[in-house]
Amino acid sequence: MTVSYVIKRLIYLVFTALLVSLIVFSVTQLLPANAATMILGEYATDEALAILNSKLGLDDPAVVQYFRWLGNVVQGDFGISLRTSQPVGPTILNAFGRSAILAITSLVLVCIIAIPLGVLAASRRGKPTDLAVSLVSYIGVSMPEFVLATLLLVWLASPSIGLFPASGYVPFSEDFWGALHHIALPVLTLTIVLTAHISRMIRSEMADTLEMDFIRAGRLRGLSRRRVLFRHALRNSMLPAITVIALDVGYLIGGVIVVEEVFAFPGIGRQLILAIQNRDLPMIQAGALIMAASYAVANLLADLAYGALDKRIKY
Amino acid sequence: MKTELNRRQLLKLCAAGASVALTSGLSSISVAATRADNTLRLSVNITPGVLNPMLSRAAAEYMMSEMLYSGLTSLGTDMTAQPDLATEWSSNDDVTQWRFTLRQGVKFSNGQELTSKDVVASLRKLLDPETGAPGRRNLGPIKMVEADGDYTVVVTTETPFADLPVALTYPTAKVVPADIIATNFDSLAQVPVGSGPFRLQEFRVDEVAVLVKNPEYFVAGLPYLNQIEIKTFPDAAGSTAALLAGEIDMIHDVQPTDFARIDQASGVSGLRTPSGRFLDVVMDTTVAPFDNILVRQALSYCVDREAMIELVADGYGTPGNDTPINAAYHYYADAPHKSYDPKKAKTLLAEAGYPNGLDLELIASVKPGYRSTMAVVLREMAKAGGFNISVKTMDHSSYLDQVWKKGKFYVGFYNMMPTEGMSFNLLFTSGASWNETKWNNTTFDEYVRLADETTDSEKRKELYANAQSLMQKEVPALIPCFFDILGAKADYVNGYEQHPRGASFAFHKIWVGSNPPTKS
Amino acid sequence: MLFLIKTLRALMRSPQGAVGTVLVFLLLLISVFGPLLAPQDPESFNFGSRFAPPSAEFLFGTDWFGRDLFSRILVGARSTVLLAILATFIGTASGALIGIFSGFVGGWVDELIMRTIDAIMAIPGLLLALMILTVLGSSSLNAVIAIGVAFAPGMARISRSTTLAVRELDYVSAARARGESKLWIIFAEILPNMVAPVIVEATIRVAFAIMTLATLSFLGLGAQPPSPEWGLMIADAREHMFRSPWPILAPGISIALVAIAFNLLGDGLRDVLNPHSQE
Repeated sequence: MTVSYVIKRLIYLVFTALLVSLIVFSVTQLLPANAATMILGEYATDEALAILNSKLGLDDPAVVQYFRWLGNVVQGDFGISLRTSQPVGPTILNAFGRSAILAITSLVLVCIIAIPLGVLAASRRGKPTDLAVSLVSYIGVSMPEFVLATLLLVWLASPSIGLFPASGYVPFSEDFWGALHHIALPVLTLTIVLTAHISRMIRSEMADTLEMDFIRAGRLRGLSRRRVLFRHALRNSMLPAITVIALDVGYLIGGVIVVEEVFAFPGIGRQLILAIQNRDLPMIQAGALIMAASYAVANLLADLAYGALDKRIKY
Repeated sequence: MKTELNRRQLLKLCAAGASVALTSGLSSISVAATRADNTLRLSVNITPGVLNPMLSRAAAEYMMSEMLYSGLTSLGTDMTAQPDLATEWSSNDDVTQWRFTLRQGVKFSNGQELTSKDVVASLRKLLDPETGAPGRRNLGPIKMVEADGDYTVVVTTETPFADLPVALTYPTAKVVPADIIATNFDSLAQVPVGSGPFRLQEFRVDEVAVLVKNPEYFVAGLPYLNQIEIKTFPDAAGSTAALLAGEIDMIHDVQPTDFARIDQASGVSGLRTPSGRFLDVVMDTTVAPFDNILVRQALSYCVDREAMIELVADGYGTPGNDTPINAAYHYYADAPHKSYDPKKAKTLLAEAGYPNGLDLELIASVKPGYRSTMAVVLREMAKAGGFNISVKTMDHSSYLDQVWKKGKFYVGFYNMMPTEGMSFNLLFTSGASWNETKWNNTTFDEYVRLADETTDSEKRKELYANAQSLMQKEVPALIPCFFDILGAKADYVNGYEQHPRGASFAFHKIWVGSNPPTKS
Repeated sequence: MLFLIKTLRALMRSPQGAVGTVLVFLLLLISVFGPLLAPQDPESFNFGSRFAPPSAEFLFGTDWFGRDLFSRILVGARSTVLLAILATFIGTASGALIGIFSGFVGGWVDELIMRTIDAIMAIPGLLLALMILTVLGSSSLNAVIAIGVAFAPGMARISRSTTLAVRELDYVSAARARGESKLWIIFAEILPNMVAPVIVEATIRVAFAIMTLATLSFLGLGAQPPSPEWGLMIADAREHMFRSPWPILAPGISIALVAIAFNLLGDGLRDVLNPHSQE
């Protein structure tokens, strides 16, 4: 892995971002109605619509609109939200920060839970432990986030139990425990679904690895079971696991959208759904761009980590 | 106003839970101590987005602009015009010209004094089509607005208009400084400059708006509160939980499905006021099959109105009689409700030329949610009458763009208007701003026009009764039920009178604790 | 046919394959005959028994309109399961075509197609489906199209890599050297090699399509009320979730069960069809 490789990847990332913005922009051009319809709502008249459209620059040709947007973005200006008249940049970054809290907390928890679980299942292949883990992960994989989230809501946030708030968000800076309390259910949902996914992957990778010659050789040489498992097999299985986790970042982002909607969590997913409903083009563009970028960055990091690990793993 | 209870207020008091009135004095003493900062934390379900008062469109925005700005008149809970910036008003004999006398010494939040030139500039800006102000056409047939000295404003109308002082309570009709209108109108989207009881301290869209007391407010001693925090809770379950946990003090808009649960909890109470807010099924009367009055009448016999209230509004509503007027209005004509009679519907439908039934597609926007609920309930009820209705939901933007005022069969949702005339002129007369049914009935128009032009209340009563019975007979739109305004508050919040119109709030009269603060 | 029977027999030997096959078979039966089996009209209101818990009369209880949840689930199976299969088919077929084309043609066309696919895959599938549905309007069929579009890039990648691998095989090179037509090579040499990996992938995708379809309906962009589509049932039930859990539990568990069935079948098929893991 060289510096030039990283630079190449970064250029490629920028190219992907550009393409994403172009695709998203083209789709938004097809949306029925536009922001002016939504801003004027039931008070829209043809003349008021025309005036507002020209004020917002929505009556320019699509190409002009796109390049104007691109030119501003290059200068770090994401424009003004058509829904709220607030600057898009800070709004979307705030929302992104809150979503990142959900996503990163869940990912960390998943790594702590899913990896040992997968290893355990693989090492007891065919035994009751393995079956139990497999069964639970089958259920986890087959449960859409919104179903799981709603079931958790009904169970843990019902008025009679009331363990957790049903929705909303409190900033960590304001009230640490309150904030933790509010992110508990969304994080729990994401963690369960992702754990199921990743522990399954780890299990099957580990199972394959354990069949490999060098592991058998190690066991034959009299190395302890635990040593073989964790020093050799797990390390070898980490490579595909990293790829799986990175790929699951895309899945996680989708999950975040749904979970934020169910728990009314003011993150980037909700912001985007609101933006689509309100035809808030600058917000849709910025949101989609940030999501695509985080997906691409996660993949880049995974590739870098892969390379780094791969070099050291020599037998 | 405080001592005499009319029928409507009595109803309201009962509905709001008489227990509130009786127990609040006792239970709130201890709580009052903890709420010494005199702050009200209020939840709304849709964020206020537009800060410019002339461009506001939704309840939360009306609420904020009422806190930050003042209008000429304000709307009392009895739907009469009350003094705001204008202390008194009078008209000439044929009600075509009104003179409003302004308060003196009123200050904007930027320190400027408010005079007639600000009022004139504001009203003119509001009436200018370029502004795109919601409600521009709801203010009445205004021809001219002029100042007469620093403290008098004269409004002249094209035709006689007895309801002008009430019409001017429209939530967007707020007064802003004339020089801001002239030079920097768009700045009001970020920086409010008004003369209302509160001032904006902080505003984070989708999260919270913090407003603090305006120490220079023109009514001495008001507002009682030092601070109001308007928090956005897009999810009803979330705001309910927050109220029960004591994280907020008041919910502006409670879902019918949550109301009973809140009302039964201790320390909080539900607020309920019958209102003229309604869902209707709009039919374009100029296209088939709705150009046939028999089809519309048939459909109107397919609604079990009481059951509709139960299924769509969870019982928190009043039955409708296919007119936009119910008991929340002054001139409601009490007529027996149409009964659920699918047999009669079938006969009428056959008579109309559809002996084998009729297939229809009913469109409902997803916002608010009970539009589609009503569509589904109607579908089920109308099956027996020979109607086969399929429901199509649509996101709100697409609905506004493609269906509203254009579609031939869809679910509409409208707030209560201050007067009968305004409601009719908004939706059902030939010249209505939102003439979605295209009913264009000249007899009806005449009833409404004559009522608009007279101040004689006996005559108005008769004219409006005629208008209502005509609608009931011809069914330009199906109006099966009205929704109560539902809210909730902690017992220590006092002085709040829920407004049936749903667009006026009077937060400056609220206090927290057992006794109203002494006026200083 | 022989291949089918052999596969089926191999499937029934592994526990997951057996359970998955039986469950999916049952499901298909319910999807086809569900409306006949339903004891009640899934749409008719029972005014007197709203929010009823499960009983002999209402096996799964009733919802806020007093509609029988058991009947709704049975009738809703059709729109949930068959539409998911259709969506997967659209995604698989279009993805495979794009992938084969791209892999076979190669060069800058391949590069362009693959970079576009990368970009599309960087947009979360749900977000893409959301935007497509806002353009097309909400309906079950449009949701199927949106899912198909969202699935296509992944399938394209898989089929492209298979194409590339097959392209280099000796007998394909030989065929090319013989000057056989490109179309013929694709149909005779490449497609048969792709069947196994694509079927495995597609089966697992069905589970995913069921979940996505339900999610889109949940977000109000798929099935139209009062259709008993399971995701839509949950969305509508949320408003009443603290009054009765049954209107959420019944469709929620159903979705999970169906997805489990297809996941099991997919895993079973992978073991059977993947020569690498055959013991």
